[in-house]
Amino acid sequence: MKRIGTEVIGSLFWLAVGICFAVGGIRLGPGTMRNPGPGFLPLIMALFLICFSLFIVSRGRVGPERFLRGIRWKDRVLAITAVFLCGLLLDLVGFLFSTFIMMFILFGVFSTGNRNWGWVFVCAAVTALMGWILFDVVLNVPFPRARWMALWR
Amino acid sequence: MDFLGNVLTGFQITFQPVNLMYCFVGCFIGTLIGVLPGIGPSGTISILLTMTFNISPVTSVILLSGIYYGAMYGGSTTSILVNVPGEAASVVTTLDGYQMARQGRAGPALGIAAFGSFIAGTFSVIVLMFLSYPLSKLALAFGPPEYTALIILGITILTYLAQKSMVKALMMAAFGFLLAYVGIDMITGKARFTFGIPNLMDGIGILPIAMGLFGVGEVLENMDGSGEVSVLKTKFGKLLPTLQDWRDSWKPITRGSVIGFILGVIPGGSGVLASFVSYATEKRCSKHPENFGHGAIEGVAGPESANNAAFAGGLVPLFALGIPPSVVCALLFAALMMHGIQPGPFLIPEHPEIFWGLVASMYLGNIMLLVINLPLIGIWVQMLRVPSRILLPLILFFCTVGAYAINNSFFDVGTMMLFGVLGYLMKKFDYEAAPLVLAFVLGPILENSMRQSLRISRGSFWIFFSRPVSGTLLILAGLILLSYFFFMKQRNVLDEKETKA
Repeated sequence: MKRIGTEVIGSLFWLAVGICFAVGGIRLGPGTMRNPGPGFLPLIMALFLICFSLFIVSRGRVGPERFLRGIRWKDRVLAITAVFLCGLLLDLVGFLFSTFIMMFILFGVFSTGNRNWGWVFVCAAVTALMGWILFDVVLNVPFPRARWMALWR
Repeated sequence: MDFLGNVLTGFQITFQPVNLMYCFVGCFIGTLIGVLPGIGPSGTISILLTMTFNISPVTSVILLSGIYYGAMYGGSTTSILVNVPGEAASVVTTLDGYQMARQGRAGPALGIAAFGSFIAGTFSVIVLMFLSYPLSKLALAFGPPEYTALIILGITILTYLAQKSMVKALMMAAFGFLLAYVGIDMITGKARFTFGIPNLMDGIGILPIAMGLFGVGEVLENMDGSGEVSVLKTKFGKLLPTLQDWRDSWKPITRGSVIGFILGVIPGGSGVLASFVSYATEKRCSKHPENFGHGAIEGVAGPESANNAAFAGGLVPLFALGIPPSVVCALLFAALMMHGIQPGPFLIPEHPEIFWGLVASMYLGNIMLLVINLPLIGIWVQMLRVPSRILLPLILFFCTVGAYAINNSFFDVGTMMLFGVLGYLMKKFDYEAAPLVLAFVLGPILENSMRQSLRISRGSFWIFFSRPVSGTLLILAGLILLSYFFFMKQRNVLDEKETKA
């Protein structure tokens, strides 16, 4: 028996997305041809998505197995977490500290092999500081500040 | 006289110190990201869009356009010296450019790429100047059915040219349209697919989507590679092409300029298509087609000219009709919208400073790029040695800060990351992001024009075929779709025969 290829896995996902939007489109009300409603075009597009997904599923080609092999999942999860963490912390601790934490994790994740934490620390600090100068001072983008920064200003 | 006055006004705007500076910054950043692997012009423009909130619309467009045509120049450097295209439109340059470099002719290859780009860029800007104004007047005759048909044709062409599979590209276009319908329906005022989340009431922003797909997605994709780039050790020699090189190249440059401009105008066509068509044309026109792929200078001159000319061509439908024909034009469209300016037939009459300022800046930008690229080629080559352990975290930094700066909210960062992960998985599963982004931008225009058309025709789809322009456009789209499925069937038969054999 042939294994399910990446083609089929991918199109099953889009099939599910298409069904969700189609249901949403029907609930919104497609209206009539004379007076199309808010669900009219979403329903059409969702049906297109469903049809094309089914077309790929029906072809059922066996996909290459390269997808699951040799991927550094852990590093990717860490990188994504670092960005999320920065986004969450920006309001709480301000631009400088939150971007420093993010860059510390990111430089740590990306410098594989002989990782030098001193180098990682310096790079993270310099990036956060240069970023603050660029956005806050030069471009005047109003980013949240930590309370101690507000006092200092 | 009016025309001359507009041109002079354009130069007056461009020569303002702030615009000159942003034009230079755009060209510089464009060349840089064109050279560096890991991020393309679409990702860079979407990241930098958030930084243009505080500058004037014309300055913003000058900066963002500079990034794009700068990237076209820079992309050729890596194609010629590393055999790795900096961006998609330079893929075809690797075929002969790299071979020229291996034969010790890297200098003339880089030189002709830069001169060809300059000539084509200038030619296309001149044609753009003459064409856009009459076209925008003609565009006033475009009604909702014509807009609907044009968008359908554009998306069909874009998906037809997809590098992987047209069906997958069509799926991405459908998904892009669906994403565009998230938010309040402008006609009925009903909230669609918002799930009660207040941030979704205004719809999903183009920036988190573009930054996620083109910025974060690229970074996640590049995490598997070593990031080491091996630059060919070659002498650049004289950068100025010889008289013989010019003799061999002037016709390809001329043809490439015309092909690039025409294909740029067609919605869905782009620099990528233009460069491939130009290469095929040169090979067909050449007396020595066997030299192609072995270091023929015509194979560098034609495609490099074509991909530069295509950008100015793409500005014609953007400014005349308000329909972006490519992803980069879609981002320019978004930039103008963010400044409260609606691209379309009324843009040039109502905001002449934006159009003429941009046109004049492109003249100047092409000269700047010649100066930036040729004498400084050694520095750009050194840039290739920037390790990915520094480059990739910096891209994520700018993406995060840029996404947060849109509304000062975590929601946009989360949306960007969601689309970043989606973009990475899409790459792994061979789905392309370009149709998604273009469909997302065109989605509201398509919906409005289609609903209006059906109201006018009292529910009859015949309205799209009964009018000459929309009918022709739709028949063209249908023929393209049919030809794809016909050739796919033929290909499948051939595959089966090969398997049996």
